[in-house]
Amino acid sequence: MKLIRIKELLKADVLCLEECLDNEIKIACGSDLMSDVLAFIKPNALLLTGLTNSQVVRTAEMAEVSAICFVRGKTPDTNTIELAKERKIPLLTTKYSMYECCGRLYQNGLPACGIPK
Amino acid sequence: MKLKDIISSLNLEARGKIDKSSADKLDKDITRGYVSDLLSDVMANSEEGDLWITLQTHPNIIAVASMKGLAGIVIINGRQPEEEMVRKAEEENIPILLSKLPAFELIGRLYKLGIVGLKGNA
Amino acid sequence: MRDKKKDTSSFSSAEKIPRNKKGAAITKVQELVYELKVGDAMHKNMITASVDTSMRQLREILRSHRISGTPIMDGDKLVGIVSIEDFIKWLAEGGKDCSIREKMTKNVKTLYADEPLVHAVSKLEQMGFGRFPVLDRQSNKLVGVITKGDIIESLLRELEVDYHEEEIHRYRASHIFEDIIADKATLTFQYSVKAKDFSRAGEVSSALRKTLNRLGIHPNIVRRAAIASYEAEMNVVIYTDGGEIVMTVRPDKIQIDVKDSGPGIADIKKAFEPGYSTAPDWVRELGFGAGMGLCNIKKCSDETVLNSTVGKGTHLKVSINMNTAER
Repeated sequence: MKLIRIKELLKADVLCLEECLDNEIKIACGSDLMSDVLAFIKPNALLLTGLTNSQVVRTAEMAEVSAICFVRGKTPDTNTIELAKERKIPLLTTKYSMYECCGRLYQNGLPACGIPK
Repeated sequence: MKLKDIISSLNLEARGKIDKSSADKLDKDITRGYVSDLLSDVMANSEEGDLWITLQTHPNIIAVASMKGLAGIVIINGRQPEEEMVRKAEEENIPILLSKLPAFELIGRLYKLGIVGLKGNA
Repeated sequence: MRDKKKDTSSFSSAEKIPRNKKGAAITKVQELVYELKVGDAMHKNMITASVDTSMRQLREILRSHRISGTPIMDGDKLVGIVSIEDFIKWLAEGGKDCSIREKMTKNVKTLYADEPLVHAVSKLEQMGFGRFPVLDRQSNKLVGVITKGDIIESLLRELEVDYHEEEIHRYRASHIFEDIIADKATLTFQYSVKAKDFSRAGEVSSALRKTLNRLGIHPNIVRRAAIASYEAEMNVVIYTDGGEIVMTVRPDKIQIDVKDSGPGIADIKKAFEPGYSTAPDWVRELGFGAGMGLCNIKKCSDETVLNSTVGKGTHLKVSINMNTAER
């Protein structure tokens, strides 16, 4: 699923790297615990989170997350946005709750990551 | 959808003793869910009757669920709750359910069962 | 000498290259237009015409060479230039044959071969000409012609050279162990970690990750090393008074040593249990301290050794074998 489609489904605003909306997102993960993200996420993922501190971007960098969407209308500070730009990680923000975001994207065919075998 | 039907359709594992009052809770209709791993977020933004999805296993989550009147807690990613937490859950009559699935997958399946994240048509 | 002086002063205003209005950082191309000389970009085997050529002959010269203008020579001396504008003017006036001398532009704007390319860029921009004859500063003789096309071509050529150099650089770094002759080779990278500086936490692991990528280590190995290091770094930031991370890279494995000077872990066995955490609420609210850090580290590594003395400090040793890329 292209990032632009995710933006539409979640009625999200783009906080940085608008030029990356054509990027392909293969899986999604919703979490507020960065260790959880680090443990389970795979490359080419969208990370949905309610956290907005700079460690979210750092975690995304380490775990090679393709894009981050902040839920419940949250936006990070400018330093965090700058860090994301530097690391080429597009940031989005949506008014929907994390639950609603997961449901909408799943219903439209975006798979989860880290499903146990 | 009743909580017990959700448990059977999604293969959730219930923890703790089930007595009469918790059996009532399993018969309760669930319409909405909330997912968060941050206690302050749940305190601020969840609504009474929500089914709470989290991977926190800290005993404090029971106090939060009880205070907000949540319908139950689903602990995800195959995490096991601490004994103290199960004991507290029994005391407070909060159903504790376990799933091996990650949040995104579990919520996706709940969503398909009609458990949404929004109030009304908002 | 007089000409030379005049020339430099007339260029002073041209120093300003048309920059990004926002004053953005100098790009690679901008660097190159300052570095390269006009002589590097110009073409040398240019077509010229003698001042005694007729306009009709010149039309044939331009057509057969598919060029839109040419310097006009009197012997070996540059005396003028004919551009497509001159030609159109001539045609508009009836196109009666005559010598070039009558129709050429006599006041020729030129560049010197040793000037930076940026002069050519700004002069072309300012004057709207398509080409400039290029002179040798010593002899004042015509040595080439420069057009916008020449500039673009030379920049592209340079960028490609740079690109290749970058590739070679990477190649070298990624084959460092094959290039080094020794019975045993180990690269050591040392980083210090500041305590309680949450906003900068992760910078060490970010640097470590880049370093491993630069060394050409398999992406799966880099990922595991970066995640393990990041979790360990967060622990040092959150729980200790600061410490250091030392990464040693050998052909067969990566070892990451994380050391701090306290307070130490009381129950190491418990610390490895998933969900066990002594994190204060502020840490949990930041998305850490859920008791998964050490489990994550263990999951990412092939060997994890944790030694700790309460009141003294903790030493975490993480090893990842290079042959486990497909793990």
